[in-house]
Amino acid sequence: MATDTCYHCALPIPDGCNISIDIDGSLHPVCCPGCKAVAELIRDSGFASYYDLREAPDPGVGRPPEDAGEWDVFNSDDMLEAFSAGDGETADVTVYVGGMYCSACSWLIESTVDKLPGMETCDINPVSHRLRLRWRPQKLGLGDALRALAELGYEPQPLTPDSGARPELTEQRTALKRLLVASLGMMQAMMFAVGLYAGDYQGIDPDMQHFLRLVSFFVTTPVVFYSARPFFSGALRGLRARQPGMDVPVSIAVGAAYVASVYATFTRGPAVWYDSVTMFVFFLTLGRFLEMRARHRSIERSTALSSLLPNTATRRDGDERQVVPVSQLVAGDTVIVRAGDAVPADGVITSGDTTVDEALLTGETTPLRRSAGDALTAGSVNLDGNVEMRVERTGNATTLGTISRLSEQARFARPAFVQLADRIASYVVVALLVVAAAVAAFWYYADAERAFEITLSVLVVTCPCALALATPAAFAAAGARLSTLHLLVTDGNAIEVLSKATRIIFDKTGTLTRGQPSITSIEVLDPGFDEADCRRIAAALETASSHPLARAFAIDDEMPQASNLKVVVGQGVSGTVNGREWRVGHREFVAGEQPRDDHPHTRVYLGTDSNAVAVFTLDDELRHDAKDTVDVLRDAGLEVALLSGDNPLPVSRTAEALDISDYRAGCSPEDKLAFIKGAQDEGDIVIMVGDGINDAPVLAGADTSVALAQGAMLAQTSADVIMPGESLHPVMTGIRVARKTMRIVRQNLAWAIVYNATALPLAAMGYVPPWAAAIGMSASSLIVVLNALRLSRYGKAS
Amino acid sequence: MNILFLLIPLALLLLAAAVWAFFWAASSGQFDDLDTPAVRIIMDDDTKPAQNEED
Repeated sequence: MATDTCYHCALPIPDGCNISIDIDGSLHPVCCPGCKAVAELIRDSGFASYYDLREAPDPGVGRPPEDAGEWDVFNSDDMLEAFSAGDGETADVTVYVGGMYCSACSWLIESTVDKLPGMETCDINPVSHRLRLRWRPQKLGLGDALRALAELGYEPQPLTPDSGARPELTEQRTALKRLLVASLGMMQAMMFAVGLYAGDYQGIDPDMQHFLRLVSFFVTTPVVFYSARPFFSGALRGLRARQPGMDVPVSIAVGAAYVASVYATFTRGPAVWYDSVTMFVFFLTLGRFLEMRARHRSIERSTALSSLLPNTATRRDGDERQVVPVSQLVAGDTVIVRAGDAVPADGVITSGDTTVDEALLTGETTPLRRSAGDALTAGSVNLDGNVEMRVERTGNATTLGTISRLSEQARFARPAFVQLADRIASYVVVALLVVAAAVAAFWYYADAERAFEITLSVLVVTCPCALALATPAAFAAAGARLSTLHLLVTDGNAIEVLSKATRIIFDKTGTLTRGQPSITSIEVLDPGFDEADCRRIAAALETASSHPLARAFAIDDEMPQASNLKVVVGQGVSGTVNGREWRVGHREFVAGEQPRDDHPHTRVYLGTDSNAVAVFTLDDELRHDAKDTVDVLRDAGLEVALLSGDNPLPVSRTAEALDISDYRAGCSPEDKLAFIKGAQDEGDIVIMVGDGINDAPVLAGADTSVALAQGAMLAQTSADVIMPGESLHPVMTGIRVARKTMRIVRQNLAWAIVYNATALPLAAMGYVPPWAAAIGMSASSLIVVLNALRLSRYGKAS
Repeated sequence: MNILFLLIPLALLLLAAAVWAFFWAASSGQFDDLDTPAVRIIMDDDTKPAQNEED
């Protein structure tokens, strides 16, 4: 570690500062007395190995506690009641621990909290950053426990009991229990089966055989009635809905084999199949369990998102400061956000400068500078300055709320592909039942003794589990992977289309360019007005528009009142200002039919009564990764095109900078749609990338659409895939994951079909004993699920 | 071999006890987090607290 940074917090050491701390006999420099105090606390508690264990020193950790008094609020009984559940003796509370980054943090927190008086248990989950505490409130106030965490430099936020409830945990617990019962049952049943098989060859005392069968019956019964229950209820549901799924043959096989074995056990019949039953149930349960874990990963992410919000905020009312729960904030409140705190709501900075970290929301890793007038997003972290902000949106209306809602929605989107596979699976099931009946009938006449065993093998070996799991498992894994890559898929079909796309069309403004244009010059054409007037009128009109160019017009000055504002998509805005009808936008829109503009920069006209009054020249930078993304897309075999409503010269400049040969300028939304239709008629599958608001109809015309959206825009965006960030790169990642997904789906389907096609005739001819059938079928579904799970790691290594 | 008539039921009783213990553990949330325990093994307390009055 460089010696000019603090040993504890890694911030640079200020000039003239000469403080150091002695750990294990060596001196380490620190940057301030606060860090020294925290480092000493850590050392004296015997936790010095924190410094060896931590993965990266982070300035957020170990921030000296600023305001120890604030935690006293939480010591009151009201607060205890609001945040905890318990039986009077002990209280349970879930705390979201902010500023936690690695395993070393969880170790430090657990070791420290464990030593607090009255603490009974504490568990921390480093994935969801949740700490669960159970302690005796008479010995220790909630506030004191939180202060202990704050003194380590973390930012604890107690969660209200309902926000800590997680239905998927209950599901996981039940699934684990079923899995354990099935696995223990299987092991026991197989052990006794070995005895019985040996007895078949060497001879066995009939009493011992009967005894072993009885014991197998005892261990198999819970497996059938407890572990296999979801299959029976699923089969019943499928039959009621007249959509028999793979649960039907599973249930018939398990049920029939079990009943026949029980019958044979008590009538001392020739054979039992307990080993096959338990093995079949165990492998099926294991497959379901793995699939469930894949689904839960995406849930963990969306709960991690909603826990980014702090629980309390400091509201300023005149001179009075008050700590209030975030749920009580309303639009218009003034809130103080200190350095290191999470922003509690969407809003605008009214005073102060800072940098914020939006990495968890958008994947943007560079901290962004924000000063008065700039927007702040709820859930982002204020890194280094204290600011005051005016609240504009709270709760679910915030960007964060929208992102979690969209991720939620993405989880339930079922692609047409999967629905088709489900429908096919239900026909396959019916066909299999018919085949099984035919096999049973044939063997009943050919060799009645083996008829039951062979029919059982056929049912088990051909169970279309692999077929039914092939697609949904891959899509579930892909969805989870995409959401960690900051791509929100709102339409289930998008993945399939992305993988097949042959042509990708970009919009220019706000998509390839940053969409933060600035006015570089104003040319006043009508001597009756001056620059400042035009500026103000244009600003008043543009307040109605959500077009990226409109942002360039925003001013802090007093604006004239504009009424009758009307937005004409792709053209401009009209409205009444000071009693006159004004228009701002394209030249044609403002000043009637006139030859097209051939200025090299984007120009916006302002006019009244069909006369142009002023021309604004705007410039907009390309996104930093636009060139890279376009190159990579072209290498991946996609044709790249650029469509823009802008003037020819700025469009061609952009196209040249990006090496795009296929571009059209001055397109109206209808032109763009026609272009897309033309490409589709040639057999192309088209992805349209835009900002999702001004080009919504165009996006809807493409096979699938991708939108870049930030802040307030996010909620109104209509696109199949949404990228909440500033970079274009996720488009390519999305296409890669989609292609990989479809490749895995194809592998899975091919495997399932080949397996079923080989196994069925072998089983029907009587070459497959039931236990081998159970292994074959289970192995084939496990292969399918494990193959799909490869997606959740896809792209991590590179 | 007759000892099996005693030993197998005993084994089943042990099995039942193991299942009961697992159900209790799962219900009390010990298996809610399946990710952390994998990394917990690499952390151990090799330094003793320097001055700890509480213990």
